[in-house]
Amino acid sequence: MHDPLSSALRIGASGLEAQSKRLRVVTENLANAQSTGKTPGADPYTRKVVTFENELDETIGANVVKVGGIERHRSPYRVEHNPGHPAADQNGFVKLPNVDIVSEVADMHEANRAYEANLQAIKQAREMIAMTIDMLRTGS
Amino acid sequence: MTTAIHLFDAVSRNNRWLSVRQSTIASNIANANTPGYRALDVEPFEKVLEATRLTLQATQPGHMTDGATKVTAVDVRKSEPWETTHSGNSVSLEQELINAGEVNRAYRLNTGIAKAFHRMLLASAKA
Repeated sequence: MHDPLSSALRIGASGLEAQSKRLRVVTENLANAQSTGKTPGADPYTRKVVTFENELDETIGANVVKVGGIERHRSPYRVEHNPGHPAADQNGFVKLPNVDIVSEVADMHEANRAYEANLQAIKQAREMIAMTIDMLRTGS
Repeated sequence: MTTAIHLFDAVSRNNRWLSVRQSTIASNIANANTPGYRALDVEPFEKVLEATRLTLQATQPGHMTDGATKVTAVDVRKSEPWETTHSGNSVSLEQELINAGEVNRAYRLNTGIAKAFHRMLLASAKA
C-alpha cells in the first residue's frame, strides 16, 4: 500500500504535466496561426489539440492523467482570395490554418485554471505531510 | 491511559482516511479535462469506522490477534456531481477545491488534538 499523500503529490504532478503540454500545443497553434504552404494549393498548418486520458498507475494505485496524443483538428481550413500568394491555387484562393485565435485563448485560460487547481491540491497534500511531521516535534 | 491511546488510534485512522480522500481529490483535479472521467469520492468515515471497529480482543496470552488495525484500502465510490460536461466528465473544480479545504481543516484539527494529548502525556510523565 502506497502512502496516499505521496500518491496525491504524484497525481497532482501528472496533472501539471498534462496541462503544461496542453499550453505548449496552444502556443504552437497561436504561433502558426498564419503559416501557409509554399507551393500552389498546398495545405497550411493544421490546428493541433491534445487529448487527455485517465490511466490507473499500478505503482501508486490511483488514477493519474496523461496526454493520450496530440491530434490534428478536423475543422476545414479558412480560405482567402489572394492570387499573388505563393500558395494560391489556380482560382487564386489561399488555404489558411484552421486556427481560431479566440478559442485558443479560451483554451489557454482553461489550461491555466486547471494548472492552478492542481497546484492547490499539491500544496494542500504537502501541508498535510508537514503537519504530520510537526506532530513529532516536541516542546512546541 | 487506554482512552488516550484509543484517541491516538482514532486520530490516525481518521488521518489515513483523509489522506486517501486527498489523493482521490488530486486524482479528480488531474482528470478535470479527461473525456468520460467520472468524479470519485471515498465512502464516509462513519462507514469505514463501522466496518473496522469489530476487532477481536486478545484477553489471554494464547489468543491470536490480527495485528494492527487495517484501514488501508477505502472503497471509492462515485460522488454526486455538480455538473457534467458534454464530454461526460463530471469533475467540478470548485467542488473539489471545497472538499480539499475540508480535508485540510479536518487534518489540521486531528494533528492539533493529537499534539495536545501528546503534550499532556509528556507532562504527566515528566512530573
